[in-house]
Amino acid sequence: MSDTLTLGDLAFSSRLLLGTGKFSDVETMIAAVKASGAEIVTVALRRFNANEAEDDLFGPLSQLDGVTLMPNTSGARNAQEAVRAAMLARELSGSKLVKVEIHPNPHHLMPDPIETYEAAKTLAADGFVVMPYMPADPVLAKRLEDVGCASVMPLGSAIGSGHGLSTRELVGLIIRDSGIPVIIDAGLRAPSEATAAMEMGCDAVLVNSAIANAGDPAAMGRAFADAVATGYAARQAGLMARLDHAEATSPLTAFLSDAE
Amino acid sequence: MSIRPDWLDPEPHVARVEAARRRDVHAALAAEQPGIAEFAALLSSTAAGELEAMAQRARQLTRGHFGNTIQLYAPLYLSNYCTGGCSYCGFSSDRKQPRHKLTEEQCQAEMSALRQMHIEEILLLTGERAPEADFEFLCNFVRAAAVHFPKVTVEAFGMTEEEYRTLNEAGCTGITLYQETYDPTLYEACHRWGEKRDFATRIAAPDRAFRAGLRTVGIGALLGLGDPIAESISLYQHAAHLMKTHWQGGISVSFPRLRPEAGGFQPPHPVDEKRLAQLIFAFRICLPDVPLVLSTRESAAFRDGMAGIGINKMSVASRTTVGGYENGRAEDNGQFEIDDGRDVETFCTMLREQQLEPVFKNWDAVFR
Repeated sequence: MSDTLTLGDLAFSSRLLLGTGKFSDVETMIAAVKASGAEIVTVALRRFNANEAEDDLFGPLSQLDGVTLMPNTSGARNAQEAVRAAMLARELSGSKLVKVEIHPNPHHLMPDPIETYEAAKTLAADGFVVMPYMPADPVLAKRLEDVGCASVMPLGSAIGSGHGLSTRELVGLIIRDSGIPVIIDAGLRAPSEATAAMEMGCDAVLVNSAIANAGDPAAMGRAFADAVATGYAARQAGLMARLDHAEATSPLTAFLSDAE
Repeated sequence: MSIRPDWLDPEPHVARVEAARRRDVHAALAAEQPGIAEFAALLSSTAAGELEAMAQRARQLTRGHFGNTIQLYAPLYLSNYCTGGCSYCGFSSDRKQPRHKLTEEQCQAEMSALRQMHIEEILLLTGERAPEADFEFLCNFVRAAAVHFPKVTVEAFGMTEEEYRTLNEAGCTGITLYQETYDPTLYEACHRWGEKRDFATRIAAPDRAFRAGLRTVGIGALLGLGDPIAESISLYQHAAHLMKTHWQGGISVSFPRLRPEAGGFQPPHPVDEKRLAQLIFAFRICLPDVPLVLSTRESAAFRDGMAGIGINKMSVASRTTVGGYENGRAEDNGQFEIDDGRDVETFCTMLREQQLEPVFKNWDAVFR
């Protein structure tokens, strides 16, 4: 890993991305974004409100220096709708980053692998920097890389659940084989889980509920920033090998003699 | 053979409610995958003694899934012409009630008033299908509303699948359609004449709406009409059926509670606020990712208390008379009495004081 998070032709120094949808008010959300040092924030197109209403998230976020907007297509239930939403969001925001988010079931909000793949293919070909929210599926991850995505964003656990990195084993396979950044999106609850994700080789994490639902969102934003930096630093420093076995007193290979 | 499908029959589960002990309630509160058994336990009188614990769990789940936000919408009554004979309703065709319907111009004025109140999601209402306010009448207003509002939904009469498809194409995102009561005998007694009298056609309407491509269906039982425990169990089973059958369908559950109204209808099974709160918590705990909706039928104090604790979506500043936003017709009775009459700003100030963000726009016309 280099010290820069590279997404398409864009480079970032922060490895913490923020979601913006669940805060108690815009001021709290902005304070958390600032405190977290996040350089990429995602905002749902359906929360863009051109009528200068107090619930508009796009306006206030677009005023922030050093923050790149990553509109998301949440609400889309298929590729066609997601592509339409992405086009409109790019037009409104001027940002070519897009988080493809297609969850046809509006209750559990699990990403649709088939529609996500189709939308990603179309949007990548159209010049978007495509960031797909996806199930933690190592095969799908390579498929998405092949069609030109800038990263893959496998879920740690269900959106808003706070169940942490329950897909750890699958994420491990994704990291091992991925040629593009792997970003954990959804499910993290505690900063320590973000540290663990970074230690195991993730390139970044995206957090929303854990910060929005914290007692002090700005302080939690800072805590996540530190946790991500710590996990990244530990990874860079090189973790010692994990020894799962003791040295055997009667080695199984004793029968192999050195002398010919 | 009963006209009620077997999966809707509450009877097998009612005994579970009566039998629930404290340990069942505690197990339900801690369950990882709560189902009908847990739901039944949470409806019990034993659970009523654990209301605070239920509220705490409900709050945690609501905030986890929906964040610190309350989604807002407003109803717009297009017409109070009605051919239905619902014994409990102020718009029933035998009520001596001045009848009105909006002209296109009046509708524009109503919508403009709602836009000025920052409303982004609008629920269009009519009575039962009537010559003065038929399907075409409704569709025209859906098209008109879709120009101004990113989300337009409809609460009117039950329709055919083909009609729901046309409604969808006109710009409607979803419908609200209450079964009113899940007890077929009571249903027939309350719905004295008209299209709505057919229980089986009504119960299958949400299925038709989803098959026609509509995204959301709001369901509910009119609380006060039937036994609240049996009704709640059937309502839960209805929700579960829809979620299993239509995996892309978004359901929401509302809690309309009968209050004494103009015609003098007295609910046979009145539900008090504590009971209502318990029902809402039980739904939230067992359906943590389903929107739960509370209207202005309820008092300001109750709504303030339930916001973010189970409830995540509310109507605001509602007028239940035809033409009520532009120039309230003082001589008219609404469909039901509004208890919480606060304006948008006052209501939002309350939400902000509770660290809840009022969300007006949570949808986009691009998804039509």
